[in-house]
Amino acid sequence: MRRYGPAALLLLTGGAVLRITLFGELYLRYVQAGLRPYLIVSGVALVLLGLVTAVLRHRTPGPHEDVHHEDVHPEDDGGHGGHEGHEGHSHGPAGPRVAWLLTLPALALLLFPPPALGSYSAGREAAQRAAQGVGAFPALPAGNPVELTVAEFSSRAIYDSGRSLKGRTVRLTGFVTHGDDGTWYVTRLVVTCCAADATTGKVEIRNADDDALPADTWVTVTGSWRPKGRLGSDAAWPPVLDAATVTQVKQPADPYEKP
Amino acid sequence: MADGLRVVVRASVYAVLGGVALIAIATVVSVLGPLLALDLYTPPVAAWWTVFTAVAVQGVPFLLLGTVVSAAIGAFVPERVFRRLLPRNPALAVPVAGLAGAVLPGCECASVPVAGSLMRRGVAPAAALAFLLSAPAINPVVLVATSIAFPGQPKMVLARLLASLGTAVLMGWLWARFGKEKWLRLPGRGTPSAHATGARAFLTGLQHDFLHAGGFLVLGAAAAATFNIAVPRSVLDLFTGSPWLAVPLLAVLAVVLCVCSEADAFVAASLSAFPPTARLAFMVVGPMVDLKLLALQAGTFGRSFAVRFASATWVVAVAASVLVGWWLL
Repeated sequence: MRRYGPAALLLLTGGAVLRITLFGELYLRYVQAGLRPYLIVSGVALVLLGLVTAVLRHRTPGPHEDVHHEDVHPEDDGGHGGHEGHEGHSHGPAGPRVAWLLTLPALALLLFPPPALGSYSAGREAAQRAAQGVGAFPALPAGNPVELTVAEFSSRAIYDSGRSLKGRTVRLTGFVTHGDDGTWYVTRLVVTCCAADATTGKVEIRNADDDALPADTWVTVTGSWRPKGRLGSDAAWPPVLDAATVTQVKQPADPYEKP
Repeated sequence: MADGLRVVVRASVYAVLGGVALIAIATVVSVLGPLLALDLYTPPVAAWWTVFTAVAVQGVPFLLLGTVVSAAIGAFVPERVFRRLLPRNPALAVPVAGLAGAVLPGCECASVPVAGSLMRRGVAPAAALAFLLSAPAINPVVLVATSIAFPGQPKMVLARLLASLGTAVLMGWLWARFGKEKWLRLPGRGTPSAHATGARAFLTGLQHDFLHAGGFLVLGAAAAATFNIAVPRSVLDLFTGSPWLAVPLLAVLAVVLCVCSEADAFVAASLSAFPPTARLAFMVVGPMVDLKLLALQAGTFGRSFAVRFASATWVVAVAASVLVGWWLL
């Protein structure tokens, strides 16, 4: 294991990256879609590097002759001599010890991929509204109902001086979160780069018959915009949708919206 | 012939043993896992794991890019190239290296190993450090992201460029003037790339650097996830009123949130209750000082260096943001 430790780590890390990108769409729970090609390239490169490392280690003769070829020079440890006890910098044939931490995320991804962020994270952050000024938006695409993201609906509801939502039937998809006084929201997290930067967008749903859905249920809501407050003011927030239909759906492949 | 047979036999023995071990682990984990999970897998814990793996996964391609570049520098680029490219005088080499940061596209994970291997190749530490700080902050990808996040405010992009470059160059000069060699564990004395060149050195260097930096990336991801779960961003709303509090507060937030430099402009834009200078400070500090970077730097350059360097950088970055913000925004 000491000899093949680095190779095993590289294979494990590469394998974990490939499992969530090449063999499925789990990566969308953690990062944005645009990163996929880079992740696949990295995963393949790590697996290849792991294989090459294993072959190189295999070809090198026993540990005593290793000294001339491998990163186990005894004098090298002397090079770190002044900094003994600096954790993670003890090099042996097994490579840097701190590298074993890589097994944590790798095994998590291979065995129990952590779930997408949901109502817990949404509840902890005050929902954000896009930072922008009031102005006229481009016309809504055709379609009845018209499919919109929660973020897009919110911006148009709060900032569109052209009132492009007026008279249109829209369809939003998100998960359920609950307010204090029996209100509920269709909520969606917005992720720019990775799940660490998630921000929350939400739309209050009114007039739904079925208001007892538990939090984190994914729903598609069709309905029409109910204007509220002056454009761009705090009173206009959060926007309101008068629901015509509420349908439970499966969690979409990409659980987040892009900004 | 016998040799080949022995290899085959040994390989199959390893495969069988490894396979049995894996199956055993998988069985135990899949039986016990759900039992434990019921008790331990509360929503905050689940969110912690998600953010933790997200930061690690996000870092992998950039870290690999950085270690490929650094291993290539170590194995294929002779020292004299840098001696010719960079001015002999450190005071001049620092701004040149700072501007050179614009060519490495990626976030901060990539720049640490590259800076390490530059030092290993004889580049003055002051110049390599200026590169380390400026690369994740002023490359085109990040500047374009900033202009998208702040539409119609080209001054914000300019302010970010100036404040980041200014901080990087100033820190390089400060290191040239006051830095002590003994704080800095010059990286790579122990790695093979210091001794050899060529394809084999490239591979061993790459493998070593990636595993080493990867371990510290995981450490940083754990810290980032912990703060992400422990400190809700809405706590900040308490401090939006006073600019004197807002600037240092967002500068601290940039350290603990560890948002990567390609995304931090969007986060800064969403903190709309804060004055522009505070948001500028968030974007200048973030790519230069954060927990993930601190772990990576401690791993590459030594802990005594990382702590001193990060705290000095934080102060300089805040000062630069205040000055540039006061002038431009």
